[in-house]
Amino acid sequence: MIEVNEVIKTYGKKKNLFTALDDVSFRIPDGQITAIVGKSGSGKSTLMHVMSGLDHASSGEVVVNGESLSKMKQRNIDRFRAHQMSFIFQSFFVQGNETCYDNVSLPLEIANVPRSRRQKMIKDALRAVELEDKIRSKAKDLSGGQKQRLAIARAIVGSPKILFADEPTGNLDSVTGEKIEKLLFDYARRNKATLIVVTHDSDLAGKCDREIHMKDGKLVKDAMKKPAKKTGVRK
Amino acid sequence: MKTTDIIRRAGRNLRQAKVRTLLTALAISVGAFTITLALAAGTGGKEYTDSLIENNGDARSLSVFAKNASTGEDSGPKKYGASEASQGLLGKKDVDRIKKTMGVESVTPMYSISATYVSGPSHTKYDANLTIKADQTHIPLAAGSLKNNQPRPGHVIVSDSYIEALGFTSTKEAIDKTIKLRIDKPQLYPGQPATGKNMKFTIEAVDKKSDRVLQYSKGIRVSAADGKAIYDYQNISGKDQYYGVTVRVKPNADPATVQAAIKKLDYEVFSLQDVQQVLFTFVNVVMGGAAGFGALAILASIFGIINTQYISVLERTQQIGLMKALGARRRDIGRLFRYEAAWVGFLGGIIGTGLALLVGLLNPAIADALNLEKGTDLLIFKPLYSIVLIIALVLVAVIAGYFPSRKAAKLDPIEALRTE
Repeated sequence: MIEVNEVIKTYGKKKNLFTALDDVSFRIPDGQITAIVGKSGSGKSTLMHVMSGLDHASSGEVVVNGESLSKMKQRNIDRFRAHQMSFIFQSFFVQGNETCYDNVSLPLEIANVPRSRRQKMIKDALRAVELEDKIRSKAKDLSGGQKQRLAIARAIVGSPKILFADEPTGNLDSVTGEKIEKLLFDYARRNKATLIVVTHDSDLAGKCDREIHMKDGKLVKDAMKKPAKKTGVRK
Repeated sequence: MKTTDIIRRAGRNLRQAKVRTLLTALAISVGAFTITLALAAGTGGKEYTDSLIENNGDARSLSVFAKNASTGEDSGPKKYGASEASQGLLGKKDVDRIKKTMGVESVTPMYSISATYVSGPSHTKYDANLTIKADQTHIPLAAGSLKNNQPRPGHVIVSDSYIEALGFTSTKEAIDKTIKLRIDKPQLYPGQPATGKNMKFTIEAVDKKSDRVLQYSKGIRVSAADGKAIYDYQNISGKDQYYGVTVRVKPNADPATVQAAIKKLDYEVFSLQDVQQVLFTFVNVVMGGAAGFGALAILASIFGIINTQYISVLERTQQIGLMKALGARRRDIGRLFRYEAAWVGFLGGIIGTGLALLVGLLNPAIADALNLEKGTDLLIFKPLYSIVLIIALVLVAVIAGYFPSRKAAKLDPIEALRTE
């Protein structure tokens, strides 16, 4: 359960004061696939940063599984992110000069997973995104879609309970994009993980269980879909 | 993150910027190279000096001479009769005085003796440079063996250049063979018929020239006892006088103290330690100078590391941001960059030491160029020095990498991930 309670986030001071998030509150139960929709500058990215502990709310609080991120020490937030969360970004952020294996290994190293256990986890994650044959390839030699699949492998290797995807299909063509969506949704459903997709793509948002619309830092629409309609996701 | 993982990642990151890493490491290696060579030359120089000392006298020997009135520090001529010997020479009284000094084990006069000729199985007569081997200074031998570096009474040491002339086929063959020395009394006036005797000696050892012996004289060396006998035979003045005495210091006494005590008695005293001191000082100055330049080079390379690491941080903001987003702690990021600097330092140390070791292969050529004995190594590398140097370089590099690593650790992940 992620609770966002009356979160306000401002930048700058006095005349230059800019309110990125203006009194936003909602709750996301475990296992829900939620889209945060909005144009650029609507505050959707800031909302994701605050929810993941990368950024601090100016006021209000974010409570994840009963623990308030704003009250946690940085060290514990880091540990929390390493063990419970993961990210997927629009521009992949895979390390081109490293092999796929080393790319996927990074979060496990950060989470202090013993080396003996890593290999199997990494292989499983790469198999899940159908990149097991690229295990020794350098990430820079992959296509855009493959890079994003690699990023997904990196995100899911530690079996996180919460997955943030920031415009995951923004840099991809529609066919590749759909493949990526399927991978993400499948992971979330199979592992009952909470998936939060930040996007301005209404098609992608439409495939999620719930759409939270942001505009000028305010929550303007929170629409839940009937679970029956989920079938539209599957092909 | 685990240290081993960070070290492996750091190494991998460096491999991805091979040229830059190598260039930075090369800058450090210049210093490492210079320091390694300076230390090697210092070690080699000291060992060479040691062997010089060993071959030219032992540390427990002091050479005592009469104070020369013209060079002496004290003003005023000596009172007549204070010494039974003539000006500039020593006599029996001097020997007795010196013997009484604390710490003196024995006093051996440097008798001046001469032989008219020497002959061997070839029966050809040769000029003989006759000296007494009364000190225990090591001498390089071509054949035979000596106890305490001295010949036994009735025996002699012969220089290898005499061997063939005297009629021996090899230095080995000459051992235990006898030669004849003609000892004549000095002539009192020109034309006086020579009066003298033939003395037979057994060759105990054959010595040879070595560049480690500063003043090598070819000749025949007799024992102290034989030397004294020949001196007594040839001495017609009736009183003992010699140009100096060799003082042997007791094993438990400090040669420097004894030297000072004898100096107080108004003699000139020379010890090997004087020479050793001068040589060591020289070696140390040269070594220190070279090592200083090396240290300067390392200091300069520190800025190279800082610069490289700053650029690296800027280039990799995105990677840093990602790591932070994935939960890496500030400490981990800082360590990653510090370990990268450490790798660079390690690499520089290895390259520098390796190149210096390669120069060490030139040892024979150096010895050749300086006309030193074959097998003389002027560059001696001590593994301990190299290990300490490399560890020190790694530490220096880590310190240099501190500021860039702090910048990396402080990066805001949101800002870092916005960079594209």
